[in-house]
Amino acid sequence: MTETKLTARNVDVFYGPKKAIDNVSIDIDNGIVTAFIGPSGCGKSTFLRSLNRMNDTIAGARVTGEILLDGEDIYAPSMDPVALRARVGMVFQKPNPFPKSIYENIAYGPRIHGLASSKAEMDAIIESSLTKAGLWDEVKDRLSDAGTALSGGQQQRLCIARAIAVSPEVILMDEPCSALDPIATAKIEELIDELKENYAIVIVTHSMQQAARVSQRTAFFHLGNLVEYGETSEIFTNPREEKTKDYITGRYG
Amino acid sequence: MSNSTFSSPAFAKRLAQRHAAERRFKLIGLGAIVISLAFLALLLVIMMRNGLGGLNWNFLSGSDSTDPHIAGIWSAAKGSILTMLVTLLLSFPMGVLAAIYLEEFAPRSRWIELVEVSINNLAAVPSIIFGLLGLAVFINTFNMPRSSPLVGGLTLALMTMPVIVISGRNAIKAVPPSIRDAALAVGASKVQAVFHHVLPLALPGILTGTIIGMARALGETAPLLMIGMRAFIVTPPDGITAPSSVLPMQIFLWSDEIDKAFVQNTSAAIIVLLVFLLVMNGLAIYLRNKFEVRW
Amino acid sequence: MILTGVLLAVIGLGLVGWFAARGRARLLYTGRGSMHSMPSYHGWHMALWILVPALLAWAAWSAIMPGLVDGAVMADPAAAQLPEGDMHRAAVLADARNIAANPDAVAFDPLSQELAAPMRAAQTRFGMIGGLLILIVALAGGGYGFTRVRAGFPARTHVERAILALLLIASLMAILTTFGIVASLLFEAGLFFKDVSPIAFLTGTHWAPGNARGIDIDGNFGAVPLFWGTIYIGAIIAMVVAIPLGLMSAIYLTQYASSTIRKWVKPILEILAGIPTVVYGYFAALTVAPLIRDTAASLGVANPSTESALAAGLVMGVMIIPFVSSMADDALAAVPRAMSDGSLALGATQSETIKKVLLPAALPGIVAGVMLAISRAIGETMIVVMAAGASARLSANPLASMTTVTYQIVQMLTGDQEFNSPKTLSAFALGLVLFIVTLILNIIALRVVKRFREAYE
Repeated sequence: MTETKLTARNVDVFYGPKKAIDNVSIDIDNGIVTAFIGPSGCGKSTFLRSLNRMNDTIAGARVTGEILLDGEDIYAPSMDPVALRARVGMVFQKPNPFPKSIYENIAYGPRIHGLASSKAEMDAIIESSLTKAGLWDEVKDRLSDAGTALSGGQQQRLCIARAIAVSPEVILMDEPCSALDPIATAKIEELIDELKENYAIVIVTHSMQQAARVSQRTAFFHLGNLVEYGETSEIFTNPREEKTKDYITGRYG
Repeated sequence: MSNSTFSSPAFAKRLAQRHAAERRFKLIGLGAIVISLAFLALLLVIMMRNGLGGLNWNFLSGSDSTDPHIAGIWSAAKGSILTMLVTLLLSFPMGVLAAIYLEEFAPRSRWIELVEVSINNLAAVPSIIFGLLGLAVFINTFNMPRSSPLVGGLTLALMTMPVIVISGRNAIKAVPPSIRDAALAVGASKVQAVFHHVLPLALPGILTGTIIGMARALGETAPLLMIGMRAFIVTPPDGITAPSSVLPMQIFLWSDEIDKAFVQNTSAAIIVLLVFLLVMNGLAIYLRNKFEVRW
Repeated sequence: MILTGVLLAVIGLGLVGWFAARGRARLLYTGRGSMHSMPSYHGWHMALWILVPALLAWAAWSAIMPGLVDGAVMADPAAAQLPEGDMHRAAVLADARNIAANPDAVAFDPLSQELAAPMRAAQTRFGMIGGLLILIVALAGGGYGFTRVRAGFPARTHVERAILALLLIASLMAILTTFGIVASLLFEAGLFFKDVSPIAFLTGTHWAPGNARGIDIDGNFGAVPLFWGTIYIGAIIAMVVAIPLGLMSAIYLTQYASSTIRKWVKPILEILAGIPTVVYGYFAALTVAPLIRDTAASLGVANPSTESALAAGLVMGVMIIPFVSSMADDALAAVPRAMSDGSLALGATQSETIKKVLLPAALPGIVAGVMLAISRAIGETMIVVMAAGASARLSANPLASMTTVTYQIVQMLTGDQEFNSPKTLSAFALGLVLFIVTLILNIIALRVVKRFREAYE
């Protein structure tokens, strides 16, 4: 049962006069993992950041075309980027826990959005988020320790828990494992697989193996263009485009 | 699903409140800047209103007097120029040489660490303390002439030197190592590489820092009060050992006068001092923009 | 007079030596690789041999000559009439020295007129002796230097070693200055504490050096009201103004303003830091203080004073704004962008991100900046001299006139009083306290800033 969660129609993204994304149209479905792959500088991260309007925070960045979340234009004047980002969460390349305790890291989102009306409710959110992120058992006895004191992989799972705590509908992940070792990476991948039941997940990745392991659909970007988009199994075994084939067989990238 | 959380009226209401808080916060920030700038404008306008009428040739070329209508600032200005000359001649070479040593030659040792801590602290020591040093050492110990540009210049030089050392080190640090390597590779000694290649490239940055340090010294009053440069000087000083006043000191002395007519003199002298400082800082900015090299 | 001439002669000799050695070295040059150093290095080597020993001799002689001259003058029959007191005797001698240098000068004491002639004779005599010695040193140095001009002599290495020594001496000036400050403050304050107990000074609450005589001396040198005035004006009122305004300006400029606005407003704001403090002091006394007084009067305060802690603190606060602002700017810039990205991606507004993530993360840097600002404010002199007043009182009323440590230092040292009285010396004791406090604040702050920067690198 897949339904379309995010729809992009003829999207261009500019940084000042430079065009970083050229006429991309794509449908992203609920309940599965969609991977964006491509050589570095191909615009996959740029496009990801336009899906929750994080590009707004970069001076000179401009998005044209249409991006719809459940049929609503997220760039419409009536759309509040603050409310949008509560619905479309994001996990970054390098783990970026706030310099606060583990508890406070997760409580931050629910608190600003007023999602808990009592301490007990907040505690429940903390526990369920950490549990979903597979971190609860490791940190339940030291919730007041600094988030920055955790290992890299734990920090990244903390950041995922932090995103989940706001109960978003979509989770965007920008190369979430690029700073982690293989064991931590495996844990995160496992986690992504579990989470896809409840969220639409988009993951930008540098590694084709990772895309093949975790995603159901894959989009291949090259020089700001969406070259090919389809079932992951199709893309990796039987790509339609010559460029995709060259990339996945390692001829460049 | 959770969609309902974010479309509920409670959430919308909270969102509106949060955006109102955002606007308030931004407004407070803007307000802080406006208040600061308004204060600056008020200060300048009041000095202009009080002082512009008093700016004429007689004022600029005259010396201090008990009569506000014939009192002028040339004697104080000349005192300032002589004092600054002494300061510059001492602090510039000393500061540059120290900066070169610390940046290029100094071995890592406890002594050098002590020098660095010393310099960073001296840059933050209250200026009046330098005045006490000048009084105790130059006047009471070395019997140098009180109230003279020589002692004033020496005192201000000690105060200015750390500023020049710090800016000098930053300028030298900004010269890429490849320049040194290139000079060494053609057989220059380390000293030659530094003096022939690194120093000329760092000079604009050093000069900028020097001008800023000198501008600060020019506006300084407190340390000079300590060494007695508050004499009533009716003839311009004819040398660096003659009793003398300086511009900021003249402002201070006039500000104490009971006669209301001195308000105009004081404000006019302030305008002259600010123009001097503006020119110096303008020069520093010009130098920085003109010669700044991005490596 | 004579010594100045000798100095010029030595410099002239140095110049001659430079040309002579270079000329001789050039004659030795027979082609590539024939000499270790270029001829001009031989010139410098020679010049240094002339200048350095001679200048040292010159400095030494300049230091001892006044003593020798005074000794000779004391042997003069006229000196028998010199008064007993050291101070007075020194004054007459100084006067005589003046007349000896400038015959038109007016003698305050007829005795000094009489001593002028022997003084001049002694100066000439010792000047000649010293000048001759110095010239001999210069010639000897030059002679030695000249014999060293040989093809294989490493003149460059020697000259460079001298340059390095010069560089080292220049950088030791900083330590020397620090040492000078500490030594002179300790020495003079030590004299003060011989008369006044340090405990009474640091804990007493009554400050009236004018009344300090004889046995009740301790009771009139209680500096607590001064410390309080300094803290109240510099660390409380000024910071109440400077911290919010400086911090919010920095936040607006770094987080909200467009780059064009930032480019223009920042330098203009920094003008505030470049205005001399005497100008602020005058503005405080001329405009701000009367304004506060009139406002207070219209609000029903009886007899508000013209000089007030509020006027001085307010203006001082404005002066510190750019300082706080640039420290906060640095601290905020040091927080990685990933922090604010993380918060914004959760749906926080910009101000929520600033208040709950950026500011807490930048806090150590900001606190260090505030410490440096306080250290600057409590050492600030002219504003309080011109606007705060002279009354040493322990009061929390911002409209009251209040005095500070720096004000009293100026007060004690600018009147006409003999140098070694406890009243004058108290300025150095106050200076010592001020120096120690600012030193501690600076060291802690610089350390915090350093650690803070490292934390995010």
